[in-house]
Amino acid sequence: MTDGAGERNPTDEALLRTRGLTKRFGEFTAVDGVDLAIDRNEFRSIIGPNGAGKTTLFNLISGAMRPTEGSIHLAGTDITDFTPAERVGANLARSFQLTTVFNGLSVRENVRLAAQSARFDEMSAVKRLFSDPENLEGINRRTDTVVDQLGLSDVAEIQASDLSYGERRRLEVGLVLATDPEVVLLDEPTAGMGSDETAATMDLIEDVLAEKTVVLVEHNVDLVMRVSDRITTLNGGQVVATGTPEEVASDDRVQEAYLGGYTV
Amino acid sequence: MVSAVQLLDVVLNGLTIGMVYVLVAAGLSVVFGVMGVLNLAHGELLALGAYFAFSLVTGFGAGGFWLALIAVPVLVGLLGALTERGLINRVYGRGQLAQILLTFGLLLIIFDLKRFVWGKSPKFFSPPSLLDQTVTLFGFSYSGYSYFIIAAGAVLSVSIWALLRYTRFGLVVRAGSEDREMVRNLGVDIDRYYTLVFGFGAALAAFGGVVLGGYQNVSLEMGNAVIIPAFVIVVLGGLGSFRGAVAGGLLVGIVQSAVTTFVPQVQGVVVFLLMIGVLLVRPEGLFGGTSERVDAGRSEPSEFVGGLGGGVLSDRWRSRVGIGVVGVLTLVPVFDGILYSDFVVSLLITVLIWALFAMSLDVVLGYTGLISLGHALFYGLGAYAALLTLLHVSPSAFAALGIAVAVSALTAWIVGHLAIRVSGVYFVMITLAFAEIVHRAVFKIDATGGSSGLFGAPEPLYGFGTSGIRFSEVLVGVEPLAFTGDSLFYYFLLAVVVGSYLFLRRIMSAPFGSVLRSVRESELRSRFIGYEVRSVKRQAFVISSTLAGLSGALFALYNGFVSPDLMNWINSGNAIIMVVLGGSGTLYGPMLGATVFTLIERQLSSVIPWWRLLLGALFVLVVLFLPTGLVSLPKRLRDVRTRETGARVGTSEDASEVEADD
Repeated sequence: MTDGAGERNPTDEALLRTRGLTKRFGEFTAVDGVDLAIDRNEFRSIIGPNGAGKTTLFNLISGAMRPTEGSIHLAGTDITDFTPAERVGANLARSFQLTTVFNGLSVRENVRLAAQSARFDEMSAVKRLFSDPENLEGINRRTDTVVDQLGLSDVAEIQASDLSYGERRRLEVGLVLATDPEVVLLDEPTAGMGSDETAATMDLIEDVLAEKTVVLVEHNVDLVMRVSDRITTLNGGQVVATGTPEEVASDDRVQEAYLGGYTV
Repeated sequence: MVSAVQLLDVVLNGLTIGMVYVLVAAGLSVVFGVMGVLNLAHGELLALGAYFAFSLVTGFGAGGFWLALIAVPVLVGLLGALTERGLINRVYGRGQLAQILLTFGLLLIIFDLKRFVWGKSPKFFSPPSLLDQTVTLFGFSYSGYSYFIIAAGAVLSVSIWALLRYTRFGLVVRAGSEDREMVRNLGVDIDRYYTLVFGFGAALAAFGGVVLGGYQNVSLEMGNAVIIPAFVIVVLGGLGSFRGAVAGGLLVGIVQSAVTTFVPQVQGVVVFLLMIGVLLVRPEGLFGGTSERVDAGRSEPSEFVGGLGGGVLSDRWRSRVGIGVVGVLTLVPVFDGILYSDFVVSLLITVLIWALFAMSLDVVLGYTGLISLGHALFYGLGAYAALLTLLHVSPSAFAALGIAVAVSALTAWIVGHLAIRVSGVYFVMITLAFAEIVHRAVFKIDATGGSSGLFGAPEPLYGFGTSGIRFSEVLVGVEPLAFTGDSLFYYFLLAVVVGSYLFLRRIMSAPFGSVLRSVRESELRSRFIGYEVRSVKRQAFVISSTLAGLSGALFALYNGFVSPDLMNWINSGNAIIMVVLGGSGTLYGPMLGATVFTLIERQLSSVIPWWRLLLGALFVLVVLFLPTGLVSLPKRLRDVRTRETGARVGTSEDASEVEADD
């Protein structure tokens, strides 16, 4: 267990690291000097009461917002000033809480777009503009694998807008997966789901993202306790505590800040 | 040296026209703020007010003017409210494109109704003699009617301000401008307010029309003449901000007046530069809040895409139909002069040029979801570049086409660089602004022939340097299958258009095209799966504009003249009509749309003088009931039939018909 002032002693193997990450909106400080050190293959969850700064922190790491101060390093590279697309290129991808898939396109087309993005930058202009997608075998293979992993093969040719809610959420995860990231940022992937769907989605996440480093923002404490390696608790934009689920569950400061007497 | 009298004169002139702008812009801005509707027909409402006033003054003399001041705004306001109830409320929640298209259709309808009722020639009416005299104050003489306009505008502005400030109506309007959904969630029946707001905006515009009619003349073009400055004003002031509309209106009025007096060379250009500057530095306007920016900049996925999730025709059928159509087109010159007059070939040349123009717009509109209201800029640029080349550089058609394409591409790269930085309605505005700058500049510049344009180019030489053929001087083939003149140009054009179609189709099915579609569906998501959206959009803009330039150049080669009218923003609107009419996101749909459009414009216009009304009505119907365009008609009919025959017909058949294409 470490205290809120700083993440446990930074080690060299930390894959994703933030230092003094701060975001101010006018007078209001949403994220206040957050230091994180997330190891390769770690499953890290970020919890905290409403307004704790979880979503802002998430947006800072994914590149949706620029920090006021502080830095973000991924595998030793400073990605603080990277665009979202450049972050994907650096193997960091995020999902969205409100499902944001390409509604007018088929499931396969959705996944293919995500699978294609890494190679798109490397393609020559001629290849980008004129190649037949059927001949891009690497991308097609990746697309098929991901569609398969998601269990969406039967509906691969269906337009995304015609999928069930659960299927759309899975496609949402699939778009992240298909970019083949090392670090995956998940924004409440089970929001709005029933208990069955939640369980199925978490199974999927644990299954397809087993090899990945995952950062999860989630309200569902039971779920977080079950899947996380370590949990960071935020309150008022600052890190209250970081530790294993057991440590966090028994930490008074966390109880006070977030759980409000909830015991595991 | 500028004298104080001259300065006062400039300011008062500016305030007079500025007050009219305020009235127009206030309505435009409030309607946008509350309803999210950018009403392109707003200028026509002003013109309608002016025409009604003309009729009243003609009928009742001076009393008619006073009557008009009260009755015309009420009448036009009612018409506006009815339009909102009957038409505009059908497109809420259907995205910005639907609203822009619908109001453009309305513009065409109102424009033609005016011509139908009042005729083409400008009308004049004088304000009552009480107002129509020179007033001398402190030794300075100025038109009393101008004083009246300024005073009336000021009183009205203060009243509107008080209305917005102190009434429940105003409260809802202001809250709605901030956050429409929140107002709805609070239990306010905001839809009812929409009708009121739209009627209110229409009434303000009509009042502006009444006073402006007595100041200038009443003409068909007057709606057009105020809507463009009104766009500038709402952008300057901030979309949805009443304060901004007042400040922006007066500012634009005074700037215009000063520029006309002191630097007439740049008249008409300055305000657009101002607008572009504001859009790039502070898109929410000088007075707008940030929430409006978010709302206006949000692009909703378009439902106007025929290619949505696969074509409306299966691959097999599309190539069959395509080959068939090209086959028939190839045969047309063969029977020229036998079955029909050579008019058919020249008509088809126009059709093909417009088809290429419309298809080029589809790249940004249908595939990328960018609504450009400045596409005519590139059409005109291509035409001017080609004709200038023929006149001054080389008689070679290929040189003319090459230079036109290069000029268009370069301009598109620059415009794209700036315009792509803003999105949604702001993109519509900034593309319009760029087009209008060039449009007005060619009026002013001697090298481009000013308002009369350029003509007298030598017949282009199809070849390089000085060796090549002139179509009118050669006979290709053996009698009776020998072609010359227009027929040869027709084949050349047909090859270019078919080639361009195949070229674009390839690009749209390649990885680049798929990224464009992802941007259309969700720009945000596209960015977060790793695409640099801006750069992709800019490339699409350049490809699209370059082909538009090519179509303009072909126009110039064929006609041998160009005029500033090629760049009129109405042409940009027409291109959008063609794309949506035929079916956007399909490439062949826009070509069909261009065909229907040209046939109506060229053929019907000689039979039915009010063809524009017909076109506008057809267009409104398409927007409301067939957003995926005419090419989707067979599928629509089949869907209806399938539904009627019920479960006996499996859905699998239907699925096979919409198999994926580009």
